[in-house]
Amino acid sequence: MSTLGTRRAMARRTTAMIGAVGAAALVLSGCGSPDEQGTSVASSDGAIEETSLPAYVPIDAVEPDFPGVDGSPSGYLELPDPLVKGFDSPPGSGGEYTAMTPLWGTIPPTSGNQYLDAVSEAMGTTIDFQISDGNTYGDKLAAVLASPKDMPDWISIPSWNVPPRFGTGVDKLFEDLTPYLGGDAAKDYPYLANIPTDAWRACSWNGKLYGIPQPAEGNLGNWFFYRDDLLPDAELPTNADEMLEFVEQNTADGHYGTDDLWDIAQIMFAVPDKWAVGDDGKLVSKFETPEYRAALEWTATLFASGAVHPDAVAGDTSGAQQRFESGQVLVTGGGVGYYHEALTRMRATDPDFSIKLMPVFAADGGTPVLYKTPAAGICSYLKKTDDEAQVKELLTAANFMAAPFGTEEYQLLNYGVEGVHYTPGEGGVPQPTELAQTEIQPTYIFLVGAPIAIAKTTLPDYVENYTTWMAQNVEYLTEPPFFGQNITEPSQYASLGQPFEDLASDIARGRKTIDDLDKAIETWKSSGGEELRAFYQEIYDGAEQGD
Amino acid sequence: MSTRTHTESLTVPRRMRRRSSPNRPAWEGPPTVLGQTGKSVALILVALAVLFPLYTVVLTSVSSNATVNAAGGMVVVPGEITFSAYRQILSGGIVTRSVVVSVIITAVGTILSTVVSILAAYGLSRPNSLFHRTILFVFLITMFFGAGMIPMYLLVSGLGLIDSLWALILPGAVSAFNVLILRSFFMGINPSITEAARIDGAGDWRILWKIVLPMSGAVIAVVALFYGVGYFNSFFNAMLYINDNAKWPLQLVLRSYVLQGVTLPGSGAGQVNVETGAVTGLPVKMAIMVLALVPILLVYPFVQRHFTKGVIFGAIKG
Amino acid sequence: MTATATQTLTTSGPETPGRRSAATPRPAPGRKLSLRHRLRRDGALLLMVLPAVALLIVFAYVPMLGNVIAWLDYSPYVGIIDSVWIGWDNFARVFQNATFWHAVANTLTITAFQLVFYFPIPIILALLLNSVSTPWVRSTIQSIVYLPHFFSWVLVVTIFQQIFGGAGLLHRVLANAGFDGFDLMTNPDTFLVLITSQAVWKDAGWGIIIFLAALGTVNPEQYEAATMDGAGKWGRIWHVTLPAIRPTIILLLILRLGDALTVGFEQLILQRDAVGADAAEVLDTYVYYQGVINGDWAFAAAAGLVKGVVSLLLVLGANKLAHLFGEDGVYRKS
Repeated sequence: MSTLGTRRAMARRTTAMIGAVGAAALVLSGCGSPDEQGTSVASSDGAIEETSLPAYVPIDAVEPDFPGVDGSPSGYLELPDPLVKGFDSPPGSGGEYTAMTPLWGTIPPTSGNQYLDAVSEAMGTTIDFQISDGNTYGDKLAAVLASPKDMPDWISIPSWNVPPRFGTGVDKLFEDLTPYLGGDAAKDYPYLANIPTDAWRACSWNGKLYGIPQPAEGNLGNWFFYRDDLLPDAELPTNADEMLEFVEQNTADGHYGTDDLWDIAQIMFAVPDKWAVGDDGKLVSKFETPEYRAALEWTATLFASGAVHPDAVAGDTSGAQQRFESGQVLVTGGGVGYYHEALTRMRATDPDFSIKLMPVFAADGGTPVLYKTPAAGICSYLKKTDDEAQVKELLTAANFMAAPFGTEEYQLLNYGVEGVHYTPGEGGVPQPTELAQTEIQPTYIFLVGAPIAIAKTTLPDYVENYTTWMAQNVEYLTEPPFFGQNITEPSQYASLGQPFEDLASDIARGRKTIDDLDKAIETWKSSGGEELRAFYQEIYDGAEQGD
Repeated sequence: MSTRTHTESLTVPRRMRRRSSPNRPAWEGPPTVLGQTGKSVALILVALAVLFPLYTVVLTSVSSNATVNAAGGMVVVPGEITFSAYRQILSGGIVTRSVVVSVIITAVGTILSTVVSILAAYGLSRPNSLFHRTILFVFLITMFFGAGMIPMYLLVSGLGLIDSLWALILPGAVSAFNVLILRSFFMGINPSITEAARIDGAGDWRILWKIVLPMSGAVIAVVALFYGVGYFNSFFNAMLYINDNAKWPLQLVLRSYVLQGVTLPGSGAGQVNVETGAVTGLPVKMAIMVLALVPILLVYPFVQRHFTKGVIFGAIKG
Repeated sequence: MTATATQTLTTSGPETPGRRSAATPRPAPGRKLSLRHRLRRDGALLLMVLPAVALLIVFAYVPMLGNVIAWLDYSPYVGIIDSVWIGWDNFARVFQNATFWHAVANTLTITAFQLVFYFPIPIILALLLNSVSTPWVRSTIQSIVYLPHFFSWVLVVTIFQQIFGGAGLLHRVLANAGFDGFDLMTNPDTFLVLITSQAVWKDAGWGIIIFLAALGTVNPEQYEAATMDGAGKWGRIWHVTLPAIRPTIILLLILRLGDALTVGFEQLILQRDAVGADAAEVLDTYVYYQGVINGDWAFAAAAGLVKGVVSLLLVLGANKLAHLFGEDGVYRKS
């Protein structure tokens, strides 16, 4: 019973609050924000021109032990010694700016924090962080963006928190960075030019550069994990049927084969994330594709087999990691970033703990088709201002923050000050001190990130397995339609996909059948689906012609 | 068994009388077997229904990761005990400061809200008074119509209260529900008492201060409790209006632990979070729940005193 | 649910409280007091009400004006002033969706069920506790039973899952004894019972507080007098105890009816996947999934207004009903 305001108001607040609890380990593509009845059409939603994107000038400060292949991340087994000095003197001009970032975890002190002070000094620019609770970041963003005078100078916006209709507001609120970074202008900021072009593309809107990216950990976002320490010589599945057998075999004695695998099932069956292009050049909605249907049926069979942990059947996603890490389930689906998270978490108490990503396979056992996931999961934006010097200084700061693996600046940003926040251990691996645990939390990383270097030196098996896995998948990757484009949909179609979410859950758990899918598709078509298709078709045809 | 009158029970020989507590009022008659067992069973069940889950929560919060994994979730049988979860939480950078913030907000807010509500409730306790119904509706309407998050934010911002602790107090300072509770109570006070005072020349302020308030200890305590709990547990407003992390209240800080451990791709900073023997996940979540109970456990006994049986009854006899 | 505390300090035996005798000087019949006279008489009251009203106007009513976006094609980037007026379109969208009526039906079912199976529980518990004469037992139970109120819904659902879920304690115990397991948490047919049990477990103990406050102020002499008059245990409850808390119950009932369209949010979202949207969709989740999640503030505002109007009508209706039963309810026209 709430006493402040009314129960109703509390419910309303809870409503808004829950709105942001979408932040999960899965980073899914972040486009599709609804829009007003836009005037004409796709012209302003067009993809960004190649010439507007920053030039890509890769830098390798250190030779990787596992070089990336065609954009897959590079792996390093050791910290380089000596570190490359990226800047001879602090590049900033002494300005002080506010930045808003999310955080899931212990909030560090923002004043008197030696880590932040050290970075500010080395950077020559001070960033005052306004750290917001990651769980409710979406609401905070919505409010702050509605009140421009309260906006900080620099705002981080994860792709899953992009406010609806963002495309219509982005040029009113944020600075267009194309003049500063487009094409060769990026060479003024070498470390920013080091960030892959696809990442910049993911942060562009309406044909212009707005966002500064944090590159994603690879171009495939999610897959199956399994406990290879508990299943050391297991014969891994190579198609969907074998997958079913695999989890069924491993369901016994109080532990279960798997958790909810619906999201990964869609990847396995190569379901497009929004649209597929038919042979006739016409767009087919994801829900209409045979792949979607097959994935649904497979998932229903999975649940019916009893191999899914009952808590997962009950929709408890928050306990999924716990179930997997405790051995209660032997297979789970997750974001690739989960790999090192789990290992870091569990190895401290259980040195034998080990998980692996299963080798990728297609549902039918043939050549897998993997749709690329966006190359940047988080973008940060600079508040619109007339002060050119401010923009330049912030970009200089971003340049500093994007210092790649192997530089002193990277070491500082990630580990803090030697002797204060860490002591060098064997192999040069930094051993964090107690102070580090309170003071160092992800902050700068939300504003911009260096290209991902898989360098968890305490987890050498991870480094090797992960980079190899990523490299092996490169040949199967394909770009989905509208890849890298941030398209703002008209608002009246915003909730069209919602019934399918509930339906998928119902069909998986046997409450409804696949026939209900047909009904849902008909409803979708008649309540706006066809119009939505036409909307996207126009964009697609326009882009095709532009080639 | 028929109910005996209280005089009769006094003459029944002691050894024949059912065991009854010395606190049992005489007019209640001796307890019946059915009555006592029935009540006891009911109460025991109620207590167990609450205590058992509470026990698992506390136990899980002090269990090591290994024990939790072995138990497959919440721990029922004690295994390895560690206070690591509490250590981690309480040693977090801004926890201690946030406690101070929370206490300040709760204290100031509760006093302000209770005073304002008492005044309003008394002001609404005479149905014939001027504008009575209109004003009553002013309160009632707020119970059914709320404001959206964005208009609220724009208002708070417009008043210059962003990053001010007042933004955590003023917007929710008046709860129409609590005012109605107080009002109902005030209206139920025997009117002859207030009549008598009025005839003696007392005005409304005096009546409120000298008569109504002293008789209303219980309900004021309850309303203050409701407000206090509301202020202390609120976090959404702080999330929205307070940008300076140094001014965060406790609940908001604790909530940030709920999804602890979600680190980000490529950030080496994620590596520094783990010490040997650290716990993550469930024990931490449970520890937060336990910590959330501490303040109310401290405060409730004081409030409870106000509605112990027989403390306040009958201001005037006859 | 909490209730109000009503103190009845009648000095002459149990009467039906809630009937107030006039506390204000009545004019001679047929003559209405002048405005100035009433101002003089009630000025102090108006002054007392002022701070609360001022706070409400600023922090409740001014932002309430923001609900005008229900009639606009609102975008936060365009602002309220510049958004286009689209009349009742948003409202139409709220009603047109097939899920809407289903959600309303679910909501009302849950309200009705909980009115019968949840609302009386704090009262019964309070009476039960009140009748315990050993102080330490009373205060111990009292000090325990309210604690679940402070657990978040996430925790409550987790606890229920751990005990009643398919991999839970109960299932394991039954399996060991040779019985077939059942999963209480994913059964849409028993969902009503499940969420009500959860609500009872979480909030019933907190709900007794107000009743205890009321009961604690009953003059024991009334019990004595009732006993003298021949009342037994149940007679005492009927003639002394219940009348003492009747106005409280009535007030809470009216307000609960007014709140009929609110039946929980977080609790239901957490269990939506477990039992399916068909069973778990209520008005608030409907608005959330259709509107809020897409940043469709205008939709949410329109739905909120509809809900508010209906709730207000329900309260007024319930209040009238209370009058028919001789109670004063929340307010009275007299």
